[in-house]
This record gives sequence, C-alpha cells and structure tokens, in this order.
Amino acid sequence: MSPAQHSAALRSFEEQWVARAPGTRAPGAREPGAREPDGLTGLRERALRRFLQLGLPTSHDESWRYTSLRSLASQSFTDAPRAAALGFEQALALEHSRALLGDRPLADAEAATLVLVNGYPLLPPASRPAAGLEIRTLSALARENPGLVARHLEPLPDAEELRWLLLNTALGVDGVHIRILGALATPLLILHVGSAERPDTVAYPRVIVEAAPGATATVLEHHIQHGAESPLSNSATLLALERDARIEHYRVFATGERAVHFDTLQVRLDRDAECRQFTVAVGGGLVRASLDARLNEPGASLDSRALLVGHADRHVDCVNVVRHAAARTVSRQTARAIASGTSRVVFNSKVVVDAGASQSDSQQSFRGLLLSPSAEIDSRPQLEIHTDEVKCAHGATTGRLDPNMLFYMLSRGLDRQTAQSLLVYAFLADVLTGMGQSAARSAIEGELIRQLPDSQKLQEFR
Amino acid sequence: MLLNISDLSARVAGKEILKGVNLEVNAGEVHAIMGPNGSGKSTLAQVLAGREDYEVTGGSVSFEGADLLAMPPEERARAGLFLGFQYPVEIPGVNNVYLLKAALNAKRKAAGEPEVDAYDFLSLVKQKMKLMQMSETFLTRGVNEGFSGGEKKRNEVLQMLILEPKLAILDETDSGLDIDALKVVAMGVNSLRDPKRAVVLVTHYQRLLDYITPDQVHVLSDGRILKSGDRSLALELERRGYDWVRESRVA
Repeated sequence: MSPAQHSAALRSFEEQWVARAPGTRAPGAREPGAREPDGLTGLRERALRRFLQLGLPTSHDESWRYTSLRSLASQSFTDAPRAAALGFEQALALEHSRALLGDRPLADAEAATLVLVNGYPLLPPASRPAAGLEIRTLSALARENPGLVARHLEPLPDAEELRWLLLNTALGVDGVHIRILGALATPLLILHVGSAERPDTVAYPRVIVEAAPGATATVLEHHIQHGAESPLSNSATLLALERDARIEHYRVFATGERAVHFDTLQVRLDRDAECRQFTVAVGGGLVRASLDARLNEPGASLDSRALLVGHADRHVDCVNVVRHAAARTVSRQTARAIASGTSRVVFNSKVVVDAGASQSDSQQSFRGLLLSPSAEIDSRPQLEIHTDEVKCAHGATTGRLDPNMLFYMLSRGLDRQTAQSLLVYAFLADVLTGMGQSAARSAIEGELIRQLPDSQKLQEFR
Repeated sequence: MLLNISDLSARVAGKEILKGVNLEVNAGEVHAIMGPNGSGKSTLAQVLAGREDYEVTGGSVSFEGADLLAMPPEERARAGLFLGFQYPVEIPGVNNVYLLKAALNAKRKAAGEPEVDAYDFLSLVKQKMKLMQMSETFLTRGVNEGFSGGEKKRNEVLQMLILEPKLAILDETDSGLDIDALKVVAMGVNSLRDPKRAVVLVTHYQRLLDYITPDQVHVLSDGRILKSGDRSLALELERRGYDWVRESRVA
C-alpha cells in the first residue's frame, strides 16, 4: 500500500486533532469532537505523533498480515454524532440490558447499566449507581484529576499491534471511569451503541475500570448498532485489577454486517488478582479485537476465552498478547473459531514470559472449524520465554466437521442440518460453558444460533 | 422379507472388500455373521447403514421392499434400521440424552407421530437404563465422552432399545466386554426380540451366541458368505477355526 493511499484517512484524523485543540471552540460546545481544556493535551499529542509515525497498518505489519485496511485508508472520517442527535433513548437501552442481565427488576438494571452512544455517555452516570460503584465521565475526570486519567493512559503502547489505541488516546473525547469498591451483586453492563447517518464517521469509546483490592464483579461490554449505519468504532477498555480483585469481563461484538470495529482491551493484574475474560464476535463486518494483558505481580491469573464466529463475509481478527511480568503467574487462552460463507477468522496469540517470571504457567489452545469451502481460518500461537522453570503449552488445529461424528448422528436419524449445527454448537461449548453470567450466555447463544447455518432446531437443545 | 441383500459388492478406499454378498433376513429372526478379521463384516454393516465413503459397486439391498441403497443414512434410520457401532463415536459437547431424544423424535416425525412428551421420554429412558445397568449420570454426559469400552457398548444397546428398530445390526457389540457386561448386553438384545423385528449380530467369536440364540449363522470370508447354517455352525467354527471353512470351500 502506498503512502498516498493512506493519506485520506490519516489526513482526516489530523483534522480531527486540530478541531480538538483547546480554544478552537467555546467551552461547553456540544459538537462532536469538541473537547474542553484539560491537562492531558501533551500526552494526547505524543500519542497522535506516534500513531502518525506508524501510519495505518498494512499487510507488511506482522500482526496485520491477514487483515487489509486498503479500502478504509482511502476514506476520510469525521466525528460520529453525539447521543442527543440520534434518537437512541435510555428506554431502548434498558430493553437490551434487561435481556442481557436476566430478569432483574428495572431499577436494578437501570442502576447497573451505562450507555455510551458513539463513546459519549447517554445520560450522566446514574445518580444512584449500584452499591459499590463509583462512576465518572472521563471528560469530567480529565478536567478535575488529569493525573489519575494519565496514570491509566500511560505508558503509551509501543507495540505496532496497539496503534489504534494510540489514536483513541489522541482523539477520544469522552467515556467512563468506573471504580469498583467491593463485591458487586449485579453485573455491570456497558452498552456501547454505534449509530450514525453515514458510515464515514468515527467514534472513540473509552472505558476504564478499576477494581479496588478484593473487589469482585462481572462487567459486560456489549457493542450494538442502532440504525442502518455504524461509525468506524475505535474503542478501548482498560481493566486494572488491584490485589485480590476478581473480575469476569465480557466483550461482545454484535453490530451490523457492515460495521468496522477496532477494539483494544488492556488488562493489568496486580498480586493475586484474577481476570476471566470472554471475547465474543457474533456481529460486525470487520472486527479486530486486541487483548493486551500484563500479569504484573506474583499470583495474578488470566483466563481468556474467545468465541469467534465468521458468518457471511465477516472478517474477524483477534490478537492476544499476554505478558507474564512476575513469578507464579498463570494464563489460559482458549479460542474457538468457526467460519462459514466467505468469512475469514484470524487468531494470533503471543505469550511473553519475562526474566524473573519463574514458575509461570501458560496455556494456549486454539481450534478452528471450517464450515464452507470458501471460508478461511488462520492461527498462530507464539511463545517468547526469557526465563527457565516455566510451564508453557500451546496447540492450534483447524479442520472440518468430523465425518465420523456426523455419520454417527445421521445413523441415529437426525437430519443433516441439525446434526451439523449440533456439532458446531458442541465445538463452541468449551467457551460457552465457562460463562458464569447465565443471562449473557443465553443471549450470546441465541445470537450464535441465529447465525449458524440451518440451526433453528438448536433452540430445543439450549 | 425384511432385508434382502443380493450380490452386494463394495469398495473402501479403492479396495474391493465385499465381493457379492447374498443374505435374506425375515422378521422375527436373529442372524449371526461370523468371520475372520478383514473378511468384510464391518464393511457390510457400515454399507447397510449408509456410510458415504464406502462405495457400493454392485448388487442391491431391499429393506421392506424399498431400495435401501438409494436412501441417505438418516432415512434408513428413520425407516427402522439401526447400526450398533463397533467403535461408538465420542461427541463431546453433545448431550447423550439430547441425541437420544432428537433421534426418537426424528423417527416419530417420519412416522407422522407427534414429538415425545418430555416426561414420558425421561421415564422411558430411565427404565431402559436400569435394564442396561447404566447410571443415570450418563444421561447428561457428552455422547460416549470418556465412556469405557463396555459403557459405550451399553450405550449403543440403550439407543437401540429406545428407538426400537425393525432391524438392528450390531457390529461386534460383544468385543471388549467382560462376561457380566456381555450378559447385560445380551439381555438388552433379547428384550427386543419380537416377531416383527430382526437382529443381525456381527461377531468374531461365538461367545455372544451362548446368550443370544441365532436362527441362522453365516460365515463371511474374503467378501463373500461362504457357508450358512444353524447354531451348530458357530460351535463347529469355534472348534475347527475359520480355516476349516475356507479349506472345505476350496476342496
């Protein structure tokens, strides 16, 4: 790809930067992209510079080999509208959230639901949030306590696969900061709504979740689309778990078939903190889901499970980097991918064990299932070990449905479609059954079943 | 006639395995097909069940007068043919009881009957499991997942008892069973004996026939049925070995 092809998209990002400069708009301006002055301009400028230096990813970049941004590079992007302009209302959000959270009383669902439309909080964070939570908008926090926000944005990533995070840091206008103080009784739902009248718009949702020492919670991030078009979504979430905190986190991509989504999830784990993480791609046209996890202190553990569903001509690209930076840290990565139609699923995972991270234990397991001759699945597990005395295992296989299993089921009278769907469903069960949040699991299963070929009959097996 | 196999030949991976098999099975009968390893016994069983990578190269098979070979495997099953696998397949993630229920409902639907009532189904399954001396924990496990050899074979017979096929072909269902398990499996098979049904036992040893008395015994060797007889043929085979049949044929 030549730099000339980059220029349209890159130029438009630079223009957004100029429009955000303090003083170009009156304080309190509500246009998308307007930012009130805060103490983070220097940091953002460094992020922008680094992003521009790296440029848009091309197929020459190792972690972008299978995902082409050629057509995206030639577009110009403007800021996606703020919530108020879009007709997406809290009532609509609550319908979604009640489905995802199970049959909870409305007040519970309301207290535990945060809605971000194109990255902007729909309403001020709930006046009476669920007990054990502190929620602020990022724009307000950046003005009042820029040091706190900066602490989470720094250090800027230098890995090439995280460059969209740099752009989010540079151009993000708002988002939420959540501090979890204790044991949350109700799961916290962050509903990300992408909505635009035109596709050549861009949104930069940002979520920062801090879990105080010993806090426990389930956090769901659900990405949906309202209306026919969705902006390019360049979202980023940080989960910072202090010692002994335990978080179960879901990110579910369920946007429309043309939506483009770059999402970066950073996980930072202190001593004995535990994060169980589910990444589910059941929507979108192009979804790039990055995980950047650091096990910073002894005893930290991460269990990451991905369910990547290639459907029609969807392109799903999942890239995980897990760094063991301390002794006795444990990581598990499980990914199951299916690809039908002309879809493509890419899974890259890398485990890095730093010097000094002795007695670390990591496992990577990837399995892909091809359901059509025109679909494609690529995977690459990698290991980079800088110390002795570690246990690291990885395995990756991709194949088609096992003809012996299929014949066995046919020989019992099941029709071919049901048998195939049941096998596909069983293939994904490793990830699904680990989900502790049953209403979310059930919603995800429903979406899956809708997308598996000829799978209506599976409803009765749920 | 329930099953009529006429001059059936078939190829597996380009190799001719069945070379003109003839066999007639009437309702109410139990047949045993015996033969040395590699004689084509399992191939015959799999071809009858409709395994697609086994290529039929000649002959015909009729099942209740219909052309069995023209039917896909699922239709054969719904028409009342059941294959008990020599090596039952493990299907992790697919619940054993789901498969049973889906299989039964597929058969009922083909017969124009309504789906089985959930409560009736469960009590039926529990009753049959008791007969097969299987723990109810097998219900919720993945199909054959982590089952021992004997447990898998019992599970095959359990499926057969639930589906009540017109023709059950049991492919070495006795292999790998200890004597107690063998008796349980035989009891299961015997409980299905009925003037309207037939059973074809494919076996290497005559041991199973001590517990399930066959009406006819056939010796399959090198892709053909070389000899047929009654129960005494199995005993003679055990005494004299398969070479005896092959030699007497040559002589």
